Amino acid sequence: MAVILLPGMLATEAGGQRRFELDAGTVAEALRTLPISNLIFDERGELRRLVNVYVDGVDVRDREGLETPLAGEETIRLVGAIAGG
Amino acid sequence: MVRILIGTRKGLFVLVSDDERREWTIEGPHLVGWETFHATLDPRDGAIYAATNSPVYGATVHRSGDLGATWTRAEEIGLPEDSGLKLEKTWHVEAGREGEDGRLWLGAAPGVLFRSDDSGATWQVVESVLRHETRDQWNPGAGGMCCHSIQLDPTAPERMYIGISAAGVFRSEDGGGSWTPANQGTAADFMPDPWPAVGQCVHKLLLHPARPDRLWQQNHCGVYRSDDRGESWERLEGNGLPSGFGFPLALDPRDPDSAFVVPEYGAENRVTPDGRLGVYRTSDGGASWDLTTEGLPEPAWAAVMREGFSFDRLDPFGVYLGTQSGSVFASADGGQSWSETASQLPTILSVEAAVWP
Repeated sequence: MAVILLPGMLATEAGGQRRFELDAGTVAEALRTLPISNLIFDERGELRRLVNVYVDGVDVRDREGLETPLAGEETIRLVGAIAGG
Repeated sequence: MVRILIGTRKGLFVLVSDDERREWTIEGPHLVGWETFHATLDPRDGAIYAATNSPVYGATVHRSGDLGATWTRAEEIGLPEDSGLKLEKTWHVEAGREGEDGRLWLGAAPGVLFRSDDSGATWQVVESVLRHETRDQWNPGAGGMCCHSIQLDPTAPERMYIGISAAGVFRSEDGGGSWTPANQGTAADFMPDPWPAVGQCVHKLLLHPARPDRLWQQNHCGVYRSDDRGESWERLEGNGLPSGFGFPLALDPRDPDSAFVVPEYGAENRVTPDGRLGVYRTSDGGASWDLTTEGLPEPAWAAVMREGFSFDRLDPFGVYLGTQSGSVFASADGGQSWSETASQLPTILSVEAAVWP
């Protein structure tokens, strides 16, 4: 089972749940099962520009993007790239 | 109870008082992390709807059926792929009419209108606005191409109006099925042709509830009144207003000849004139304007955003405004005198008054 960890705003939107455990073949599949998927993907199904996804500490952009395969032991962290006041 | 919904850059606050409106308590922040462009309380069932935006997580609408204790988020909202557009921001939620259970309207950017028939769970884009024949003549204002004003005629079930910056005012006589530009007589001084059919930068549009054929408009280029459902407009700021530029607008709910504006110097200097926060009122349909300052700060270089002004329907009616610097001022005597009811809030984006048990 892969583990997905959500930041505060997304956890609030997920009913207070910060940690999800699930089986999925790819990062995209895993993220689309989340109850907050429409906050991390836009209406085209594209990952929002300021949402960063890390698999075991590595940005998926430096792996195979959202198609990065999951073996089932990974920890996926979502981080909103928030800047400013 | 009177509830003033205060949308801010950092969530929603609610000011609560009894009908005397002398003592206020503050609730919140709700919707932490969400820029709340506008919030409204649906008079049909007491639900609160908020047009919420995040630079990271996008634009949506939140609903609370328990006065803010818990919230749900829209399940479906977005623009169709063949439009080539994506939803940018949600701006204004307007409850449907009495008897239209579950119906709501949502103004959004880029210049789009949505309708919900299930109390905000899903939102369908209004195709007649999305694909309006004049859309190629619309341009975004500094805040994006926002549909910020939605007004429903209480006496004509199929008549409604929208205001989009900078596309102008549009009227529908068929419940949103089609839209006619309603900008004759309103200026677009920033255009090569200052009198186009569309492209005007309307900042706020209100219909008078006691005389629905009368519309008031605060525009980038002047303050206007229409007595014929937007067929023609009269420019009003010639007598007493320091400037025709401003954003917010409020009305006396019983007197169609009265309106309130908060002018700013102009487009290049967006603060209130003369080093004070002043509310200007007309009681003669805009022929003349009088300044009210009692209880308002001086010196002050304030700014009130387009949604930052509201009024209730009590007698005497209350008027409320919120500043970009985080203060809320309330008047319980129809705008004659004011008092600061909250301060040091985040930047205030919207103020909406509601009376609900």
